[in-house]
Amino acid sequence: METFQHLMNGFMVALSPMNLLYATIGCILGTLIGVLPGLGPAAGTALLIPITFKLDPTGAIIMLAAIYYGAMYGGTITSVLVNVPGEAASVVTCLDGYEMAKQGRAGVALGIAAIGSFIGGSVATLGLVVMALPLARFALKFGPPEYFSLLLVGLSLVMALAGKSLSKALVMGVVGLIFSFVGIDPVEGAPRFDFGITQLLDGIRFVPVVMGFFGIGEILINAERSLASVVVGEGKVSSFLPRREEIGLCVSSINRGTWLGFFLGLIPGTNSAVASFMSYAIEKKVSKHPEKFGTGVVEGVAAPETANNSYANAALIPLFTLGLPGSPTIAILMGALIMNGLTPGPLLFQQHATFVWAVIASLYIGNVILLILNLPLVGLWVRILKIPYNILVVFILVFCIIGAYSLNNSVFDIGMMIFCGLLGYVAKKLDFPLAPAVLTLILGPMLERSLRESLSMSRGDYSIFFTRPISLVLLIITAIIFATSAWQALPSAVREESRGAQA
Amino acid sequence: MSTVDRISWSVLLLFGAFVIYESLQINYYGSDFGPGPGFFSFWLGVLVIGLSVIEIGRSFRSNLPLPADFFPDRTGVVRISCLLGALVASVVLLDRLGYSLTMFLFCGLLLRVLGRQPWWLTLLLTLLGSFGTAYVFRQLQVILPRGILGI
Repeated sequence: METFQHLMNGFMVALSPMNLLYATIGCILGTLIGVLPGLGPAAGTALLIPITFKLDPTGAIIMLAAIYYGAMYGGTITSVLVNVPGEAASVVTCLDGYEMAKQGRAGVALGIAAIGSFIGGSVATLGLVVMALPLARFALKFGPPEYFSLLLVGLSLVMALAGKSLSKALVMGVVGLIFSFVGIDPVEGAPRFDFGITQLLDGIRFVPVVMGFFGIGEILINAERSLASVVVGEGKVSSFLPRREEIGLCVSSINRGTWLGFFLGLIPGTNSAVASFMSYAIEKKVSKHPEKFGTGVVEGVAAPETANNSYANAALIPLFTLGLPGSPTIAILMGALIMNGLTPGPLLFQQHATFVWAVIASLYIGNVILLILNLPLVGLWVRILKIPYNILVVFILVFCIIGAYSLNNSVFDIGMMIFCGLLGYVAKKLDFPLAPAVLTLILGPMLERSLRESLSMSRGDYSIFFTRPISLVLLIITAIIFATSAWQALPSAVREESRGAQA
Repeated sequence: MSTVDRISWSVLLLFGAFVIYESLQINYYGSDFGPGPGFFSFWLGVLVIGLSVIEIGRSFRSNLPLPADFFPDRTGVVRISCLLGALVASVVLLDRLGYSLTMFLFCGLLLRVLGRQPWWLTLLLTLLGSFGTAYVFRQLQVILPRGILGI
């Protein structure tokens, strides 16, 4: 009842004309980002943070959240119509979506993707409503040691699931942490890693880093190939509804996709691409005609698209309740919250209840806006895709420069963005995952503060982490995750040898 | 690939050593409030060195070939250099020339070199990317530098 009351208050705020406008603009901009190739949700959301600077915190986060899930849907349009996924989560949609488009059923593919995304997103938001208060209340029992151990669980999952090599993921996580230490130490006020550069005393801001890693880095990778070669064809869009015999199949696929996306969204370190790929694999497995997958079956679009949007909304649960971002895009939202003076975590529900429930209510509204907006606008998105990439890239760079500069009205941040772009380019070439670095950059100060506060509480005694039950359980989980990942990282010959020795 | 891996992990090894050195310049431990500001970074430096040593050792045992497209071709290098050069130039010029003029040069150069569009379209897009974006963002109350000419 209490939750319902909070949610109704949230709707009152979210339905105010200005907040509705922000959600609509966010959905449009997000879809645009999703449509443009080479600009994922993480870079796109970071790129658009500056346009929210002048908004109140509620409006700013409503708009950024709308950009986030708009981008998730935008990638679908290009996957279906031109076989170019706008972001990783939409790769799998190309398989059947583009085949459907070739058969003249692009409208059905987009329609079912929009409906699935709406249902997946709405159910996940409902999950957020139901779980938010109990989880936040449980998290209020956390002191610094529990919080430190919880952050370790989150980071270990991110590192274990990112990329092919555990060492590379670990080292990128450490690089992010070291970046986060630059500037004034939060406990004693001592300057660290500033090299005498005054601007570094304020620390490294996450927006230039994210824009560099995901925006400039991606552009440099694309620049290796001919920029003019990024594509565009034309898909015909007519009816948006599936055939009668397909409706039953769609309902089951959307149902499975919703729950899979929801549960994966709760686990830090997974990403929406995992949700959509896994959901596609499950659909193929349970289907009576798996051989038809890849030839334009409607379940091949419905399930992954539902899962990816359900994931996008469910991933906000650990952020809002525990202050734990599970992916780079969520970490950027967390950074935006912090920039607006709001610390994600259990106290958010106590100290800023109006804000948090307004954002949750706006997620419902945003899903409706996406549904209403996207189908009629499909033609417009296709036209935007016809703009040559070599022109788009110049405008993306202009936005990056404005975004980095306007953070602090300083060209230093543009320099930092370029440096991180180069770093991101090299990391991508060498197969070092960037997600752990972004997450640790944002979580670093909290991780360090909770570690040092814990050790101050115990006067330097490390047993504080093992004598408190919640912290102990969380540390055991961390150890299991690392042990499993390290075992999987071993060469198969070593594993076989070890199994042989045991036998 | 193993040589490239060896080089990249060696750079990380040096980075780890540098982090340890810097951490030891600040208070590592011993304050009344538990660990000092250099504590966490010191151990992270140790972790980077440990991982680098393991991976350098492993690189001697594997001999994976480099992917065919690992190094960009000549035109790729020219495009990347052009992009980076234009970005660095924008950092140098932004406060001096102001946003609109710097972006005019930035967009003009990149659209001409990368875009190869007709001159009238290049000019139109350059104006849009410089004076156009300056107008829109200033309307949104975003402060952009005006430079010596005040534009």
